[in-house]
Amino acid sequence: MLRCHTPPQCRRAPLRGGREPRQAAPGLVRCARWAQQVPGIEASPAHAEAKAERPTLAERLRLGSLLEGGLSYKESFIVRCYEVGINKTATVETIANLLQEVGCNHAQSVGFSTDGFATTTTMRKLGLIWVTNRMHIEIYKYPAWGDVVEIETWCQEDGRIGTRRDWILKDLANGEVIGRATSKWVMMNQNTRRLQRVSDEVRDEVFIHCPKTPRLAFPEENNDSLKKIPILSDPAQYSRLGLVPRRADLDMNQHVNNVTYIGWILESIPQDIIDTHELQTITLDYRRECQHDDIVDSLTYIEEGEEKSTNGSAFAAPHKEEQQQFLHCLRFAGTGDEINRGRTVWRKLAR
Amino acid sequence: MGVSIAASAFFPGSPAPAPVAPKNALGERPDSLDVRGVAAKPGSSSGTLRAGKTRAHAAVPKMNGGKSTVADGEHETVPSSVPRTFYNQLPDWSMLLAAITTIFLAAEKQWTLLDWKPKRPDMLSETFGFGRIIHDGFMFRQNFSIRSYEIGADRTASIETLMNHLQETALNHVKTAGLLGDGFGSTPEMSKRDLFWVVSQMQAIVERYPCWGDTVEVDTWVGAHGKNGMRRDWHLRDSMTGHTILKATSKWVMMNKLTRKLARIPDEVRTEIEPYFFERTAIVDEDNRKLPKFPEDQSATAAKYMRTGLTPRWADLDINQHVNNVKYIGWILESAPISILENHELASIVLDYKRECGRDSVLQSHTTVHTDCSSESGETTLHCEHLLSLESGPTIVKARTMWRPKGTKAQETVASSSL
Repeated sequence: MLRCHTPPQCRRAPLRGGREPRQAAPGLVRCARWAQQVPGIEASPAHAEAKAERPTLAERLRLGSLLEGGLSYKESFIVRCYEVGINKTATVETIANLLQEVGCNHAQSVGFSTDGFATTTTMRKLGLIWVTNRMHIEIYKYPAWGDVVEIETWCQEDGRIGTRRDWILKDLANGEVIGRATSKWVMMNQNTRRLQRVSDEVRDEVFIHCPKTPRLAFPEENNDSLKKIPILSDPAQYSRLGLVPRRADLDMNQHVNNVTYIGWILESIPQDIIDTHELQTITLDYRRECQHDDIVDSLTYIEEGEEKSTNGSAFAAPHKEEQQQFLHCLRFAGTGDEINRGRTVWRKLAR
Repeated sequence: MGVSIAASAFFPGSPAPAPVAPKNALGERPDSLDVRGVAAKPGSSSGTLRAGKTRAHAAVPKMNGGKSTVADGEHETVPSSVPRTFYNQLPDWSMLLAAITTIFLAAEKQWTLLDWKPKRPDMLSETFGFGRIIHDGFMFRQNFSIRSYEIGADRTASIETLMNHLQETALNHVKTAGLLGDGFGSTPEMSKRDLFWVVSQMQAIVERYPCWGDTVEVDTWVGAHGKNGMRRDWHLRDSMTGHTILKATSKWVMMNKLTRKLARIPDEVRTEIEPYFFERTAIVDEDNRKLPKFPEDQSATAAKYMRTGLTPRWADLDINQHVNNVKYIGWILESAPISILENHELASIVLDYKRECGRDSVLQSHTTVHTDCSSESGETTLHCEHLLSLESGPTIVKARTMWRPKGTKAQETVASSSL
């Protein structure tokens, strides 16, 4: 049920031109395709001081920085015109990309490995890598073209074998929280493909830069990020079959990246929902990965009869009549094996 | 003034709250058109108007009348062959001093201009990516840092990423000049008449590809194209070194939204845009060879490839639910064999846009690969012809690409402003 979701973690991509590849933080939505050209940065233990000797202009002007004694990282991004979709607001894929970007930058700023895996020295010695198994994103207000989004991210322990990365998104102009996200990661042995506990040695290296007291993007009890997604049985109410990965969907190891799965899930949402609602929440459980020659079916099931309890959360969901909820399955067209399971919640657009 | 706020942007981790960026501010400058006597010279070739449905995305160029309230002196005259000592050699504290000094200079310059209005310092604008108008009001410049998800499988920014930045800069140019009408493809006068710009051709030459974390500086400007068209040019450089990354030019025609027919440029629109026409070309030797009818070359050295069943996803669509122009490039490259992509990099591309497509289209992509003669170093360059069409037949885009082996040095261009 776990999915080795970050292709770079499965196989090292051959380095081209002798460049040091860049880095992904644990809990990254998607750890692929990164580039790497950071002169002077080499794999180094997680010390805040272990940075490039000569940060580039880009890094100096990067609007991101470690906060609170290095326990979290915050960066601002402006929404670009091509990241905006049919609603004139940023797409959920854009948001997911930005979450990844800030995760990468966080890892890089605390000195994790720059090969695309966010591993520490000990992890590399032991052949351990991070894999993600769940991603949960809630968006309360989508930013528009030209808006600046400030994202804060941090990671911390999650049980004995896991870690989590959380994000909070704010509109820089008024400080309003416009979204939250969380992801769960586990450590796996690259060779045996077995899960591994986080040993004390690794813990010290990895979590030195994480809050010691738990800090959750979703602190409320029984929040949606914890809800299970059940196995779905046929027939689906809606589907889109024969989806095909494009070159741009692939990372260096020729696996499809995360954000593409989000796009595929949306493909089988009926048009009238897309026209009248916007995506409020998406939860994805990763199971298998797919590659360029795979063909994928996207299935959508209406999820009914849910007691939508908000538990006094400050981010209360709107009334039930204004929401639609779906369960999703992405699977291989041929074998029917599950790639991902998902849940989406949509709120009515105020038009 | 905003100086102290701007300075805090350079002190990472400073406890001061980050400066507030205004949302979608339309250009604050007056819409006074300072006709500077630069008549738009019609280009000698008027022949690239295309009938049929092509789709505009990046919009009209419009520039605000004349006055540029920007401290851009430090950018314009440094030749790229000389490393910028400012940034490359000073230790940290000097960098900060330099930043602060520049901000003061910018502020000072603003104070002295007659039509100065309170606005964010330009350094800050740039940092937040808004860009600014330069070169006496004729060009627009913006910086982007390359994000991790914009990198392709070979760890450099993909051609799509670069084209996306071109699009973004074009729109920001129009917006900053206060000439953004409804949607992304029209000036106010055009919106009133249901007209919009449609791209008919795009050419780009790539000299080098940036990597994650690099900052690219994009300059863009507009000019006339024929009697009834417009062109927009771009020049991308590495912000740090000044080396050219990409040069591009695009040709645009005006179309009526309702009839979907080509339209003449109305006088009111000419009044809006002609003062900004700037006769400079990004690409000196334009690739004006006609793209061949497809398939044409039956020679034995040509290898043909195809990929079918391509469909637009939601994220491919713009606010009019048409497929964004830049996405076509991805589809075109879908049918290029992986061996090309692994060993070569795209050196140039010419795209002819014929028709738009929407959500329900199903496309197929064809590529014909020609291996050119080897260069003196023994490596082969390739060129390909591409066709993207609906499965039902009609052509969406035709393209020609040239490829060089990875690691080959492209023809370097001195990236001075006297291009």
